[in-house]
Amino acid sequence: MRQKRRYRNFSNLLFIAIVTLPVASGLVYALLYSLGFIGLLNKGFTTDAWETILLGKPFWSSLGFSFYIAMVTIIISLTVSLSIAISWRKNLNKGALSSLIYLPLCFPGTVMAFFSYQTLSKSGLLSRIGFQLGWIDDLRMFPSWINDAYGIGIIITSVLLITPFFIILFSNLYTSEKVEEYVQLAKTFGASKRQVLLKVTLPILLKKASVTIYLFIIFVMGSYEVPLLLGRQDPQMISVAILQKIQKYNLYDIPKGYAMSVLYVVLVIGVLFILYRKNKTFFKTEMKHS
Amino acid sequence: MNKIIALLTVFICFACAEKNKETQKDLSKLSWEEITTEANGKAVTMMMWNGDSKINDYMQNYVTPKLKKEHNIDLEIVGGQGPIIVQLLMTELQASKNTSDVDLVWINGETFFQLRQIDGLYGPWTSQIPNAALIDFDNPFIGFDFQQAVNGYELPWGNVQMTLIYNSATVKNPPKTREELLAFAKEHPGTFTFDNHFTGLTFLKALLIDISGNRDELSGDFNEEKYTKYSAQLWDYINELKPYLWRKGEVFPENVAQMHQLFATGELLFTMSNNDSEVDSKTLEGLFPETSKAYVPDFGTIQNSHYLGITKLSGEKAAAMVVANTLVSPEAQLTKMTPNIWGDGTVLDVQKLTPEQRQQFETIPSRTRAPNRKDIQHKALLELSPEYMIRLAEDFRKEIIEN
Repeated sequence: MRQKRRYRNFSNLLFIAIVTLPVASGLVYALLYSLGFIGLLNKGFTTDAWETILLGKPFWSSLGFSFYIAMVTIIISLTVSLSIAISWRKNLNKGALSSLIYLPLCFPGTVMAFFSYQTLSKSGLLSRIGFQLGWIDDLRMFPSWINDAYGIGIIITSVLLITPFFIILFSNLYTSEKVEEYVQLAKTFGASKRQVLLKVTLPILLKKASVTIYLFIIFVMGSYEVPLLLGRQDPQMISVAILQKIQKYNLYDIPKGYAMSVLYVVLVIGVLFILYRKNKTFFKTEMKHS
Repeated sequence: MNKIIALLTVFICFACAEKNKETQKDLSKLSWEEITTEANGKAVTMMMWNGDSKINDYMQNYVTPKLKKEHNIDLEIVGGQGPIIVQLLMTELQASKNTSDVDLVWINGETFFQLRQIDGLYGPWTSQIPNAALIDFDNPFIGFDFQQAVNGYELPWGNVQMTLIYNSATVKNPPKTREELLAFAKEHPGTFTFDNHFTGLTFLKALLIDISGNRDELSGDFNEEKYTKYSAQLWDYINELKPYLWRKGEVFPENVAQMHQLFATGELLFTMSNNDSEVDSKTLEGLFPETSKAYVPDFGTIQNSHYLGITKLSGEKAAAMVVANTLVSPEAQLTKMTPNIWGDGTVLDVQKLTPEQRQQFETIPSRTRAPNRKDIQHKALLELSPEYMIRLAEDFRKEIIEN
């Protein structure tokens, strides 16, 4: 018993050393830098960077834009993946489709972004096909899907990247949660197809996947390469905006970049904390059966 | 929680513990022979922009073997430019590292300014290397980097002038003045733009100088009053141009490589280059159409030099000096200047070379699509003080991108 506890203590310590400590140190460093305590060019405590970020428009518009991109991406991705997982269930278990579905997982974000760029830009593949077929008179007439104001290119690419994860997740959940049996049960009680979908299948799958869905929203909000290549200079997604502050020409902007990153992390942790307070079993990965 | 705080304290203490710096030999007291002896068998890491295949080829297949053969030095090249270099050296200085990961850096302008600000460069060292005597330091385009005296902290390596590139098959009369540019953009909307990086900012600087009405009006240190006055007129002009720019000026290419791509696919009728000979190399590569040409508008373009600096925390300063000396040797400069190799202008004063070497420089195969240096020299503008670029970058965002 004592040995077991010692083992658990050791693994807790290992987790703190490998995961918590570097992240916490990074955050403390960023906070001290943003307040002027450290940094080669900083001259001591100041709240200038924080005031500029909190009171200015750029941080909040970047945050809003990132949230918009993440929500639209997740909604489209969930719709597509649920439709595929439910309607093609038999095909997903065997045959070519069951392997093909993994293919997009092999593409790193940067490669997928380049692929989107080559396909969707004004001089890209689709535009050229449209031109050859006489649908458009000039390549420049092709709609702006890359570097556009609504982040269409970013959304399409993010959907391509994350949908396979959800398809695999939902098709596994469908089996592990014995959804098929519940469906049959509901049908014997006379439920219509629509009722089965809305009252049985979707609630079970979405509830079981809810933590993953929230985490994917945060993942898309914080993505960097895809919006860097396919986004525009305004509005910018949050990671791109932060890195530009830290890495562009003005060294006196670095504290602002760090303030933005601390604020973003605090906001995300705050939201997760509220979700946790609302439902304490929410982030438990294993369910206790009593 | 207590455990976390305790571990955090230990972690920070470790990070700060590396205070003691290694003492290195004082190179300023060594002769060149002693420096070359010291450099023998060492490895030098050079951080440079590696976005051009021709430049990479020159470094990897010409410079690296030459250094190994002549001085037994291993040159390792890593990618990174401007702000990346500044960030890296800042972090190393803050972490009180003993030796830097990088020995030699390819820099100019605002990077030099910022590295001097953070005291990240070693120096003065350039007068110690023999080939420095051949460099044309009297030329203001070489001896001064963005109006700053180099003071021995960086060594000129190459010299270039910005050009605008167009396809002569589709554009018969490229615009020569600001007014003509505006008229051209109105007539061909969506076909002209500039990037949101160094090249675009260099183009904006040329326009700012043109607006000031006098080439010397903005020379010297940064002048807030003058900047405010002329930049307001610049933003008025760009805002007038904006609806006719590529994608109505709502977005700008992130870098010059993207602009080259857009030019190659025909989406843009113009691209730009900070290297006057790039039009030839990119056409030879097959990226640009055969009928591409480069020119300098009547309002002129910035001519500047790029330099080599040694990092303050470099552990191989002697070897880095030998590498720098080799890079400015007549042989390496001549090879670099050849259009199908790199096409980078030399920083050497050819009058100081032997008659044989001078003849070699004068008979370099001429460019076919870029104008000759002699013909555009009178339109060359001196770089402005680095703060102008930093302010232009910030205000371009506020006045144009976010507007």
